[in-house]
Order: sequence, then structure tokens, then C-alpha cells
Amino acid sequence: MDVTKEEIQALYKAHILPENKHPYHFEAKEGTSVSFDAYNPMCGDKFHLYLNVVNDVFDTVHFDGIGCAISKASTSMLLKKIEGMSKIDAKAICEKFINNLTNDHQVDEFNDELNTLIALKHFDGRIDCIKLAWEALLNYLLVKDLEG
Amino acid sequence: MLKNIKTYFPIFEKYPDLAYLDSAATTQRPKSVNEAINQFNSFENANIHRGVYDLSNSATKKFEQAREKVARYIGSSNPKTIAFTSGTTHSINIIAYSFLKSTLNKGDNIVITLLDHHANFIPWQMIAQEKGAELRVVPINKKGDLDITSLGKMLDEKTKILSLNHISNSLGTVNDIHEIIDLGHKKNIPVMIDAAQSVAYYDLDILTFNYDFLAFSGHKMFAPFGTGVLYVAEKWIKSITPYNYGGGIIKNVSAEETTFSDYPFNIEAGTPNISGVMGLSSAIDFINTFDKAEMRQHISDVTHYCIEQLSTINDVKIIGTPEKRSGIVSFVVKDIHPHDVASFLNQDNIAVRAGMHCTQPLLMYLETPATVRVSFSIYNDRQEVDRLKASLVALIKFWT
Repeated sequence: MDVTKEEIQALYKAHILPENKHPYHFEAKEGTSVSFDAYNPMCGDKFHLYLNVVNDVFDTVHFDGIGCAISKASTSMLLKKIEGMSKIDAKAICEKFINNLTNDHQVDEFNDELNTLIALKHFDGRIDCIKLAWEALLNYLLVKDLEG
Repeated sequence: MLKNIKTYFPIFEKYPDLAYLDSAATTQRPKSVNEAINQFNSFENANIHRGVYDLSNSATKKFEQAREKVARYIGSSNPKTIAFTSGTTHSINIIAYSFLKSTLNKGDNIVITLLDHHANFIPWQMIAQEKGAELRVVPINKKGDLDITSLGKMLDEKTKILSLNHISNSLGTVNDIHEIIDLGHKKNIPVMIDAAQSVAYYDLDILTFNYDFLAFSGHKMFAPFGTGVLYVAEKWIKSITPYNYGGGIIKNVSAEETTFSDYPFNIEAGTPNISGVMGLSSAIDFINTFDKAEMRQHISDVTHYCIEQLSTINDVKIIGTPEKRSGIVSFVVKDIHPHDVASFLNQDNIAVRAGMHCTQPLLMYLETPATVRVSFSIYNDRQEVDRLKASLVALIKFWT
């Protein structure tokens, strides 16, 4: 482990636990223009994202499902970030965020809560939890969206 | 004999504060096993079977002596009932594809159980789908024990194999394989036992249980990764056909055709994991220095103490209360996902597993997305359970 227990607890206390307890737009929303799963078969975390796209902009965004505190908080933070954002900008932010997660060192600055997620990449074995919804959205934007 | 057991395992020299509660995933390796592998790799290394020089002859002799040792370990008088594989999954796939598939027809059925690991689930599902056969899954009761009445009813004249684990890797249920094998044999159905979780601690004597096929992995019995065993009863040996092709499994090769060796050599194509088998052989020696009843008693004591202690924590719910339990306990903590639990336990040097444990059908039935699983071996003790409890109590306090 690269970070101390106290540091992990501080990161959890600041952003993860509140977000886990009160996730953003955490409800099923049938009939949205876009919906897909963010699923990790290795651990069973599974969220369903309900995204309503108007004029290539994520107009309203919701999700539901089951996962750990980190994956749930991360999905919630992702949705807050992309609501009102164009698909092009959302794709760029997903790529930038994942890039900062997977590189040894963080090179870009984000808001406090996203910086917390990136700091938690050093929490053993949890990077997949952080990336889950971000990769699912990126996959949608890179593959499914292009397929029409 | 178990008093200073940790001193046999180098990992606890490097990490004296490690509470390793994940032996169902893999057991730690004793020093003697590591030394046996190192001895072979450093001073005895040669390929087997085809060399005529001393080193190769010696390696071949030791490899075949290991086969004899494995046979003796499960009470088989015939070493040719034993094949070396890469592990339990590999062994089960061989029986699915090299034994059953060619004779499986539309309308036949295969019986497995809800307690089975994906390794004893998916191979049967795949060949059943391919051949139009039915996959029957024996249910469990609320405690996590197999519904033996249902099992009996599922077996019929169209059942081509019954395959189940001895011990559930998720709930710790110890299945009464003696009774179940008898049920199968009364209807002339061959029975395969996945002994991955039991082979280190239970006597699996063939004369007692009379199973047709037995599969287990080395790395869950103190041996290295990439080693496994398949036992095939003598009556079925002629029915095992090669599943992949290459050197070492043939009698004769011409441009027109190839004739193959008999089992077990016909499924050991290519160079086997020879040094790994040396480690497996050494692991059997290691196990044989203990009394299995004493091993089980020790693990049972720690396991029941764990259940007793976890039961005192209000927010902890133990998943499954089987009649007979091995050293495996699954649980969930209210409002805290198993992965978060496992990560925070890790901060206190307690190694546990979280997830679905390759038993998705079982967890779906239990309506539990994931569990925390602790699993004990001979090197665990009550003090580690106390640490587990203290860490869980602190986590719950922190979380709320």
C-alpha cells in the first residue's frame, strides 16, 4: 500500500462516503435516449446509466445499481461532471481522467472530488472500481455511438 | 505438531503481522516445497521421458514417482489412473471434452449443483448447449446445504454424469459425497468430484468413496501454481481421448495417421510442469507429516471461533449456515460493500477475498451481489480472528 490508513480514511471521509450515501441522480429513468451498463464481472459491481442526449449534449443523467463505495461515488461524480456537457467534451474528459488514473503521476488538475478519486488509485487494487463508469461511457462514445 | 506451524512458511517471516485468511484462493507455500522446486531447477533439471542421459532418466524417474505418490495419496493402487494437469479447471474440462462430449446426445442431461464453482459449471454448460443436452442444477436449502431429495430426483436414465464439489468455495458447505456418489452409482451414473477445497485436509480414499473422477489443484494444497491432478477410475481409462495434440502422447505417427498412447499419457501432450510436479510431490510429503484429523480439528476450531465472534457484531451477517462446514466463512457487512471491507481489512494486514468467488449462480440465488470470504488453513489461529473482529468493528464505526 502506497498510502497510509489515515490518508485513505481522510479521502473516504471527505468525498467517498458522502457521495456513496447520497449519490447524484441515483434512480432508474426509463426511456432515456442512451442507456448502458457499467459492469465489472470480476467483482460483480454493476451500474446502469440512463443518459438523455439532446442536440449532442447530455441533458439529464441518472444511474442505479450495486457496487462498492468507490465505484458508486465515482459513477456519481462522473454524472455530475458530464451533465450539460457535449458528447465531444465528455469523451475528452473521460480520456483525460482515465489517463491520469493509469499514469504513474497525475498531470492534470480536476475538481476536489475527482482529485480524490485519482489519489485513491494508490489504494490497492481499486483502480478498476474508479474507472468502471468512466470506461463504460468512453466505450459507448467511442464504439456504440459511432455505430449509431 | 501445529504449534509452530507458521515457521514452516517463509511468507510469515517476511510478513510476521500478516493474517492470511484467503487459503481457499491459494494456500501459502512451505519452505520444503520451495526447496524441492529449487533443488530440481538448480541441480536436477532435464526434460522427461525422451532423454537417455542420466539427468533425464533421473527426472523421468522422479516425475513418475510423483505420479505414484499422488495415487497413493488418494488410495489408488494404479498410478496410471493419475494425470498431471494445470489445475482443477483443466481436469474438469478434460472430463467434459475428452470423456463425455463424444457420447452426449440431445435429450441427455448433466447434473451439477448450485454450490459449484464456475470451473465445475461452465464446461458442462458449454457441452450441454452444444449437444442439445440439459444441464440440471441441484438446488440448496436456506442453510446452504444441497437438497439431496431434489438431487435424487434429478438423476435418471438420461443422466450422463453427476459432477459436484466436495466443499463449496463460497459457503464452506461440506457435501456428503459418500451418500451422493452412492445415489449416482445406484443409477449407473459416473460421478466426478471437484476436491479443490478439500484435498489438503480430507481423506479422499478411492476405496471409501468410489468416485469415478477426481480433480484437484496443487496450489490449494501447499504446492505451486500450475499443477493439478485428474484421477480417472480404471473402468473409464479407455474412454479418455486426447483433447489437444503434440509430442509425448503418441504411439505412432505417419503422414496418414497417428495412434495415441493410453491415458494418462494421451492427455499430457507437450512438456509438463515438471518442477511444479516436484513441488506437488513435496507438498504431499509435507501434508503427510500431519494427522489430517488434527488439521481439520484445528481449522474447525478457528472457523467456529470466527463464526462466534462475527455473530457478536450486529451489522455482520454470515451467509450460509451449513450443517457441516469447512474452514470457509462468507459474510456481508450492512451498508459496506465487500470490496470496501476487504480494502480496509488490508490496511490492517488482514488478507481476505471479496466478490462472487466464481459462483455467480449461487450468489444470484442468495440475492447477494458479493460477499467477504475468510478461509482458514493450518497456519491460522484465534488471535487472527480477534484482529479480524477488531478491524471490522473499527470499520463499521468509521463508516457510520
